[in-house]
Amino acid sequence: MRLATALAACAIAGLVLAPAPWLVSDFALSLTLSCLMYVGLAVSWAMFSGATNYLSLATAAFFGIGAYVTAWGHGTLPYAVAVPLGGLAAALFAAAIGAAVLHLRGAYFAVITFGLGELVRHAITYGEKTWARTVGRVISDPPATETVYLVVLALALAAVATAAAVRASRFGLALAGVGSDEERARTLGVNTRLVKTGGFALAAFFAGALGAAVAVRWTYIEPASVFNPFIGFQTVLIAMVGGAHTLAGPIASAVVFSVLTELLRLQFPYAYLIVLGALLILLVLYLPGGLASLLERWKWRQRHA
Amino acid sequence: MSIARFGGILSAVALAAACLPAAAQEAPVRIGYAIARTGPWAAGAQLTQEPNYIMWADQVNAAGGLNVKGRKRKVELVGFDDRSEAETVVRTYEKLMGSDKVDLILPPWGTGANFAVMPLIQKYGYPMIAPTATGRRLLGMKNPYFFAILQQPDRMMEALAEFLKARRVETAAVIHVDELFGLEQYTGLEAAFKEKGIRIIEKKTYPLGVKDLKPVLNDIKAKNPDAFIALSYPPDTFLVTAQAREIAFNPKAFYAAVGTAFPIYRDKLGPAVEGVMGLGTLNPKSSPAAKAYFDAHVAKHNKEPDRWASAHAWAALQVLEQAVAKVGLDRKALRDAIATGEFDTVIGKVRFKDGENVTTPGVVSQWQGREFEVVWPPDKATAPALFPKPAWR
Repeated sequence: MRLATALAACAIAGLVLAPAPWLVSDFALSLTLSCLMYVGLAVSWAMFSGATNYLSLATAAFFGIGAYVTAWGHGTLPYAVAVPLGGLAAALFAAAIGAAVLHLRGAYFAVITFGLGELVRHAITYGEKTWARTVGRVISDPPATETVYLVVLALALAAVATAAAVRASRFGLALAGVGSDEERARTLGVNTRLVKTGGFALAAFFAGALGAAVAVRWTYIEPASVFNPFIGFQTVLIAMVGGAHTLAGPIASAVVFSVLTELLRLQFPYAYLIVLGALLILLVLYLPGGLASLLERWKWRQRHA
Repeated sequence: MSIARFGGILSAVALAAACLPAAAQEAPVRIGYAIARTGPWAAGAQLTQEPNYIMWADQVNAAGGLNVKGRKRKVELVGFDDRSEAETVVRTYEKLMGSDKVDLILPPWGTGANFAVMPLIQKYGYPMIAPTATGRRLLGMKNPYFFAILQQPDRMMEALAEFLKARRVETAAVIHVDELFGLEQYTGLEAAFKEKGIRIIEKKTYPLGVKDLKPVLNDIKAKNPDAFIALSYPPDTFLVTAQAREIAFNPKAFYAAVGTAFPIYRDKLGPAVEGVMGLGTLNPKSSPAAKAYFDAHVAKHNKEPDRWASAHAWAALQVLEQAVAKVGLDRKALRDAIATGEFDTVIGKVRFKDGENVTTPGVVSQWQGREFEVVWPPDKATAPALFPKPAWR
């Protein structure tokens, strides 16, 4: 997708979705918010991991760091400041950690990024109980649902716009270069270390900011709920089902996946996980390239018809 | 057609129309909730809470329906899986109260999930009586629609301190899980022990999901306290019992918090649980009502309820039922009725003050044979306490 097209699409999506709090039902709004959260998480994840083939499982760690920034700042920092600050904290953390572990590849990288989530979770638990004599934080007067929704919408669109801009830039080419052949990219003069760390931190910014934005809805912020590994797994799953190497794939997948899970959950309260699991198996078997490969196949056929 | 005849038909039609709503089935009372059926919260939720909801709806419907201010209406439960996720809890209750506008709601399982629903019940004005939410912080939110029917940590720990004081216990070692529950229980325990003059000679904490407590237990064993108290969650309760037995650490009083009241604790650990104490409220011997509750639960679900929060879940439904009988489904009136009334339940009389159940006393229970006997307070006791605790078997 061309950058201009992508940005125009973002602007239109923003215009269409922004009035939702005043038009749709509470539940539809809540579901849209969930979709947007996963759009932001999956797109930013794919921006780094899809391009570089570095499978990161640290999304939950970034998300949780962001959430704790809002929790700590609650009462002193306005929401509008806490959200970007949450993103920034996650990005700084990612940059520091990335510098240390981004020489690992494949399964090693995946495992260590997963371990990071646990590390941060236990570190925060320890720090909280030692210095604050508590573990959870109560958000006593959370921002209005409309505010949270609009902030999450802005973050999701910003993630998409950023991912589109990165894809069109030299930086994006360098990331893709790392993905296809890191040695060659380095030989050709790409500072792979810097590029990887930058990409990792940029992706972390969005996960952190989304954590900071969404967690206020839960009233009570505790390590177990904000460092929920499920959030990380779901993000990776969505991006892969959509096609992590594309921009539109993870977006479509986040919407389809969130809505489908929700419909199945509400329609088949007891059997939905079985249905969902079966669908996933079918997808992996018959569409290994993700939803995006459907479109690619169709385009290929058009061209060669 | 004569006017008289026309009038006759008209009145007949009017009569039929008037009879219609009475003859046709009245719309059921829709009661919504989200609860964990999958994920880490599911074990607790499916033991303590949802089975009670299902059994209650069955019993009410079998008796002709819920008494809504004198009129019987069937109840229909609208229950969804919350996947043990705070965001899903919030979304589901927004759907139930904001979009579907169900008549009543029931709470989700656990303190975290109850926190997540707090702002919503206030926004939409639905009273909620929570059987599995504990913590001063929760009550500190002063939400007029929230009612905690489980005994709060300080109350439970005071009962434990009184029990130990009556047995002349002087020293105790305490471990607790690093979580709101563990911290609040510990705060309560510390204050109660100080007042009763019981010295805490060792205090250790451990993270959620701990896999080995033996080093800690060995240290504590060397200090030889009179009482050992683990303010633990179910997995650690099982762990600490098994490991204390392994190293033959057998203090005069051995107490573990959540999970001791579960039938599976007895079934899995067998005779090892003899003399172990923990958080409880009642057992089938407590009263005829308790016996009836246990029998009905076994008949319906083919498993026993736990001996602590299950009964509170049932009592919460009884409170709701009695309040609805009195004031109907107007939720503001219902809230006021719950806040000001006194209710007869399986756990005894229940009355709320500032959202807290102030009538149910703190209880200490102890495994003796196959029963989790209530051993404190004396007027609720179903058996004398085994003290000191017999050797591990």
